[in-house]
Amino acid sequence: MSAPRAAGAASRAGRALLALWLVLPLVPLLLWAFADRWAFPAVLPQEWGTRGAEEALAAGAGGAFLRSTLLGAVVAALATPLGAMAGRALASRQVPAGTAVLAVLLAPLALPPFAVALGLDVLLLRLRVPAALGVVLLLVVVAVPYTTLTMRAAYAAHDRGFEDVARTLGAGRWRTVRSVQLPLVAPALAGAAFLAFLVGWSDYIVTVLVGGGRLTTLPLLVAAAAAATGSEAQVAVLSLTAILPPVALLVVVGSLGRRGRRA
Amino acid sequence: MTPTRPGPRGRALLLVLPALVPVVAVVGAALVSAALLSLGLAPLVGEPGLSLDAYRAAAGDLGTGIGLSLGIAAASTGIAVVVGLCLALAATAAVRRSRLLGALAALTIPIPHLVGAAAIGLLLADAGFLARLLGVDPASWPPLVGGQLWVAVVAEYAWKESAFVALVVAGVLATRAASYGETAALLGAGRWARLRYVTLPLAAPALLSAAAVSFVYTLGSYEVAALLGRAYPEPLPVLAYRLFTSIDLAARPQAAAVALTTTALALLVVLAALRALRRLAAER
Repeated sequence: MSAPRAAGAASRAGRALLALWLVLPLVPLLLWAFADRWAFPAVLPQEWGTRGAEEALAAGAGGAFLRSTLLGAVVAALATPLGAMAGRALASRQVPAGTAVLAVLLAPLALPPFAVALGLDVLLLRLRVPAALGVVLLLVVVAVPYTTLTMRAAYAAHDRGFEDVARTLGAGRWRTVRSVQLPLVAPALAGAAFLAFLVGWSDYIVTVLVGGGRLTTLPLLVAAAAAATGSEAQVAVLSLTAILPPVALLVVVGSLGRRGRRA
Repeated sequence: MTPTRPGPRGRALLLVLPALVPVVAVVGAALVSAALLSLGLAPLVGEPGLSLDAYRAAAGDLGTGIGLSLGIAAASTGIAVVVGLCLALAATAAVRRSRLLGALAALTIPIPHLVGAAAIGLLLADAGFLARLLGVDPASWPPLVGGQLWVAVVAEYAWKESAFVALVVAGVLATRAASYGETAALLGAGRWARLRYVTLPLAAPALLSAAAVSFVYTLGSYEVAALLGRAYPEPLPVLAYRLFTSIDLAARPQAAAVALTTTALALLVVLAALRALRRLAAER
């Protein structure tokens, strides 16, 4: 075999290994989700069915799904405008001590969420703040670095000339923001909102520590089922339920972003 | 009298405040509250008095936890960096670019770590999918989940974070590497020379930043080690959680001490990464 052909074969094998690395952990999830009976050492389930889905529904997957969606949506609805405003200001290089301000806004990335949740929990209990409000407040703070970074990059590449033209043509400040600025950064806004949604959707430790077990989200059900024995089918169904909505959102946000770049 | 309009700097400050105020308030309040609790100044019962008792009481577990947490973070970040770099190279290669690998890595990003832990558990457990595929009996299957080497925990972090590293590095390489690579190839540089002298130096800052973010995340993350790890010894987040939720109220200050130690460790890692980034930039 010639050297380029050997290199080509090695590269194909390497790529196959990399694809396997990314996909392999998801294969048992997909199989277990539809397995009614899958005893060792069978490589495939002996009986297919919906036992996992029934167990998941009985464990309260429906309500947990709604609560997780709501939590993600609320975190996104709060953290996206905060990040957009901060990103706009930081990209304009007019913020006094801009580097320090950026460092503070990014600090939640460096801090362990359990440490912040643990410190805040004691305080929230003393101040009698409702648990759900505390969870949202903390998760918004966790999400702000992502939305700020995304929007700062978007506004840095954004041409303010369009806004100046709109102002010259007589558009008011709000009209300019609504009709010119926001449509231009819409793909980045969608990306920032997606990342903030993920923070709320995926969180476990903040919901457990600050929520005190009263806010049952999908990750809490996954953890409870995964810690039990003999509940593999239920774990798989709950896990897939936790994966599919954000993956679908990612595809939508990705196609929005591509449309935005083409336009 | 007309109200004075804020100038551009005033307006920028007003725009940044709605994000800055909650971050400073929440992070500041949480850290101060944890510090007071750990130093005996805000006891849940009894009189406040400054002492290092909580740190002293937790010292043994704290030492083990620091070593274990750093070890898990280093091992998983190391694997994630190597695999993530390979993924990024394959996804941005000039010839035979793999769009599939790029898409698969992107789709791995939104999977919650807890779900990743559940999936790795189903894959690597005694009677898990991998044991079935390889036809190994549960009795002779190595204890990957809950074993002494924390294999399942490291595998989960390495899996998820390799996709993150791949995305960050591919983002940099996609925009800049092609033109430099072509120039180098025109000047006669071979495959390895291009990788060593063009691609890697271009990717280095992004690779280092992604590694630091992934390391700090792993250091402070609770659920994966709680689900796939063993009962003892405990990584720092698991230790803090157990102490904090213990029925013994006297353990709360110890939990705060562990939390603050983890925070200090994470900040040290960030500072070291920033220094290394600055040194990389200065070498150019």
